[in-house]
Amino acid sequence: MALTSNKLYVLIATACSVGYGWLFFNISESFTDFSNFRVCLIKEVTRIPCPSCGTTRGVISLTKGHFLDAIYTNPFSVLVAAIMIIAPIWIVLDVVKKKTTLFHFYQRAEKIIIKPKIAIPLIVLVLLNWIWNIAKGL
Amino acid sequence: MEAQKVDMFIMSNGKYFESHHVNAIRNSLIAADDSKWPMLSVTQFNDPSTILIVSIFAGQLGIDRFMIGDTGLGVGKLLTCGGLGIWALIDWFMIQSATREKNMEKIQQILG
Repeated sequence: MALTSNKLYVLIATACSVGYGWLFFNISESFTDFSNFRVCLIKEVTRIPCPSCGTTRGVISLTKGHFLDAIYTNPFSVLVAAIMIIAPIWIVLDVVKKKTTLFHFYQRAEKIIIKPKIAIPLIVLVLLNWIWNIAKGL
Repeated sequence: MEAQKVDMFIMSNGKYFESHHVNAIRNSLIAADDSKWPMLSVTQFNDPSTILIVSIFAGQLGIDRFMIGDTGLGVGKLLTCGGLGIWALIDWFMIQSATREKNMEKIQQILG
């Protein structure tokens, strides 16, 4: 079950659609009864926020144009929003042109990111963000 | 390679692979050149049970995926809080076979 380009595209497309659905669910006022509905297992079990807690709130701030609020809530939100905007366009372009540029980019990125010189600073950043999340009490 | 050596390898490492792959691995090992043995004998395969435990406790952070070498999916899981918790849950059941598949890829790289 090696990751082929088709599988990756289906996975990213599904993830993006679920992401947009989740965003709509959180923004839409018709679901206010479910405003206490949370999905983070770590936060529900331990009451400590996880590294990506606050991403939804951050993306919602971004949709309202509050860039600094988004960064303050969770810097991950900017990254997630960028992926959610770029990935579907890239997939459509690849499908139309019958190319696999996104898949090759993904494979190259995977190889670069695993190098200790890059991986260690990234892990430290994630941990710092986690500490910041706990300090903020998200 | 000698059948005895190959059988010894299969006996000690069989649990790291899908059962339907074991026979194919055995055949390709017997057909393989002896020069592959030193590389093969020092290769570390991921234990599916260990990865399952990591997945249960730290699956939301994508650490299970990082450990088996699926860095991209690991980052995806980390950024999305374990895919809103759903992906993390699905991975409790998928991660063992994903680990075995990754081990298969590893051995194919050595033999290829």
